[in-house]
Amino acid sequence: MAEASELETLRNEVRAWLVANAPATWRQESIDPDAFFRIQRDWFLKLVEGGYAVPHWPAEWPGGGRSLAEQKVIYEEMARADTPRLLLSFVSTYHAASTILECASKEQQERYLPAILKGETWCQGFSEPGAGSDLAGLRCRAERRGDVYVINGQKIWSTIAQYADKCLLLVRTSNEKAKQAGMTFLLCDMKTPGITVRPINQIHGDEEFAEIFFDEVEIPVSERIGAEGDGWAVAQATLASERGLTLLELSERMRGALVRIATLIRDTGRLDDAGVMRDFGRLATSVDATCALADQFLAWRIAGEEQVGQASLIKLRYSRVLREFTLLGLRLDDMDAQYHAPITFGGGMETGNWMADFMNSYAWTIAGGSDEVQRNIISERMLAMPREPKNWTIQGDAA
Amino acid sequence: MSDDSIGRAELQDAARKAFGEGGLGQDPATIWDLIVEMGWLGMTVPEELGGLGLGAEAQGVIHFELGRILAPGPVAAHMMVIEALVKAGRQDLIERAVAGELMTGSLRFATATEAGGTLSGTLNAVPDADTASELLVVTDSRVLLLPIGTNGITLTERPLWDKSRRLFDVTLSGVSADAGVELAGSNTASDLVAALKAHLLFALSADSLGGAEAALDMSVEYLKTRRQFDRPLAMFQALKHRAADMKTILASAEALLWTHASEGRTAPVTQPVKAGALKAHAARVYHAITEEAVQFHGGIGLTEEHQCHLYLKRATLNEALGGGADLWEEQAGRQIAAALLATA
Repeated sequence: MAEASELETLRNEVRAWLVANAPATWRQESIDPDAFFRIQRDWFLKLVEGGYAVPHWPAEWPGGGRSLAEQKVIYEEMARADTPRLLLSFVSTYHAASTILECASKEQQERYLPAILKGETWCQGFSEPGAGSDLAGLRCRAERRGDVYVINGQKIWSTIAQYADKCLLLVRTSNEKAKQAGMTFLLCDMKTPGITVRPINQIHGDEEFAEIFFDEVEIPVSERIGAEGDGWAVAQATLASERGLTLLELSERMRGALVRIATLIRDTGRLDDAGVMRDFGRLATSVDATCALADQFLAWRIAGEEQVGQASLIKLRYSRVLREFTLLGLRLDDMDAQYHAPITFGGGMETGNWMADFMNSYAWTIAGGSDEVQRNIISERMLAMPREPKNWTIQGDAA
Repeated sequence: MSDDSIGRAELQDAARKAFGEGGLGQDPATIWDLIVEMGWLGMTVPEELGGLGLGAEAQGVIHFELGRILAPGPVAAHMMVIEALVKAGRQDLIERAVAGELMTGSLRFATATEAGGTLSGTLNAVPDADTASELLVVTDSRVLLLPIGTNGITLTERPLWDKSRRLFDVTLSGVSADAGVELAGSNTASDLVAALKAHLLFALSADSLGGAEAALDMSVEYLKTRRQFDRPLAMFQALKHRAADMKTILASAEALLWTHASEGRTAPVTQPVKAGALKAHAARVYHAITEEAVQFHGGIGLTEEHQCHLYLKRATLNEALGGGADLWEEQAGRQIAAALLATA
C-alpha cells in the first residue's frame, strides 16, 4: 500500500486535473439519451487522455496499475467533483476488460482492450426472460456449425445494449450435463446480421436497458473465451470484476447528495421542524454507516482478508439506504415530486426529480444481483445457513 | 488501518479468553475483579498517569465484549468518571479508581443545582451507587466528585427490567459543595461535560453492537438446530433473509463504530452529537436484532429459561441511556444540515 503522503499527492493531482477538465454542466445538458451519451463518450476519452479511465487495469496498459488505495482516492475525488458516472464505458472497462484479461487469449486481448480505450463499448448478454436470479437456467442456444456458432434466442436487461458495439454473450451449447456445464462464453459483434435490439422503457421513462434478439446469428469460433462448456467459470470472472469499488463511489456520491435534502428542507422552511430534522439526522447516520462499510470492505481487500459475502453486505446495505434516501426526498418534496419532469439521463439518484430518483433506486435493489440474491449469499455463505432442497413438487402442478 | 486492526483483534482475543464463552451469568464481583486485574479500567488513561495509554478503539473493544456477555455492573459509568479524572489530571484519584474503587455517575447526564454552597437535585440512572465510594456531580457551572456518603445524599434503587444493570436515583438535599473535589470550574466545565458525553455514548454504542452480535449468533445457531417440518428452520428462506438483513445492519453499524473510534472521518458535527448519532444508530440496530432474536426463538424465546430476552431488555435500556434517538437524531440533523448549507 502506498504511503499516506503519496496518496495525498495523488489526491491533489486528481483534484487539480478535475478542476481543469471535469464537465461542469452535464446535468443541464443531459436532456435526452443522445446528448447524455455524447457527454459520456467525450468524458471517457478525456479520462483516458488524463490517465484516470482505467486505474484498475494492469500496469502495462496506459492509466493502469493503480493500487486499490489509489483507485479509492480517484473515485472519491470524482464523486466529490460530481463528474458524470461512467455508465457507457462501465461494462467495457470492468466486465469486458476483466473477462478478457483473465480468460481470453493474447490475440483476443490485443484486439479488444486497446479498442476499449478508444471508446468501443460493450454490453452484457447474460440474463434472459426465464433466467434472472437463476442465471444457470439460461436457454439462448448456440449450435456449432463448422467454424461458427449459430445463435438463436433472447437476452434481456442488457444495460445500454442499444448503444453497444460488442456483447459479452453467455449461451447454452449443451443440455446434457448439469445446467452450469453446458454453457459457453462468446464475444459478439452487435453489428452481426440477425441481431435486433429493442430498448426497454423503465418505470421512469429512461431507456437504460434493452432486449437483444438473436436469429441465426453467426459468431466465429475464434470469438469464444475459454473452452466450450467452460462458460459458467468465465462468467464468474465477469461478475466478480468490480466487487466493491463501484459501491464505494456510489456511497460517497450518496453522502455528497445529502446537501440536496438539506437544501430541500431549507427551501420548504422546515429547518425548525424537529420531526424532519430527526429523520434527516437518522438518514445521514445511515449514509455514514454505509460509507464506513464500503471503506471497511476495501480495507479488507487491501489486507487480503476479503471473504465471500462481504460484497453482498455492501450491495444490500447501499440499496436499502438509497431507497430510504430517495423516499425521504420524495416525502419532503410533497406535491412537487409528483409533477412529471424530464429527467437527467444517467443521473442515477440525482436527477433533480425525487419521484424519478425513487423509481431509479429500484435499479439497485433488483439489478446486479437482487436484494433477495444478496440475502441468499449472506445467509448461506456468511451465516452458514443451509440451502433449500432442490427437488420439490406442488400438488396439482401438471408440470 | 492494518496496525489498528491487529491491535483490535489481539485485544478482542484477550477479552474473549478472559470473559470466556460462559461469561453469561457470571456474578458482578467476578467480572469486576477480572477487569481490574487486567488493568482495563485504565485502558485510556495515559501511561504517565499509570494507565495503559490506549485509544478509543481499545475502549470500544472492551465495551463491545462486555456487551457481548451482558456483563453486569457499572463499568461504563466508572470509566466515564476516570475520563473526567484524566481530563482534570487527578492522579491520586485515578490510581484509586483504576485499582477498582468504584466511582459512579448518572448515565443520563442528569445535573444538580448549586446555590449558596449547597447542592440539590436528583441524579437518575446512577449504576451501583450502593457500592460506590464517589459520585460525579455536574452542575450548571462545575463538575465535582463527592464522597457518596456525604450528608444529604440518599440512594433509592430503581429495579429494572434489565437485570444486568442496577440503577439508582441519587437525591442531593442541602449537600455541602465543599465536601467534593472540583474537577472542572466554570471555564472548563462545558468542555469536560461534552467530552464525558462523547465518551459514554461511544461506550454504549460498543456495548450495543457486542450484544447485537451475540444475539444474532445465538439466533442463527438456534435456527440451525431447531427442526420443524423435517428440516432445520435455518433452511427456510423467509428466516434466512431476515437473518441476512440483521447481519447487514450489524456489519455497517460496526464499521461506523470503528470509523468513529479511529476518527477516520470528520463529520460536520460536534463530538457529543456525533457520538449521540452513533449511539442512536447502534442501539436501534441492537433493538432490531434482539426483537427478531426473540421471534426467531419462538416459544422458548418468550421464557426466562432462555437468554435472548436478556439481550432484548438490555437493548431497550441502551436506547434510553445517554439520551434517546429522538434527542440525538434531531441534534445531528440540525448540525449536519447547517454545515452542509453553510458550504453549499
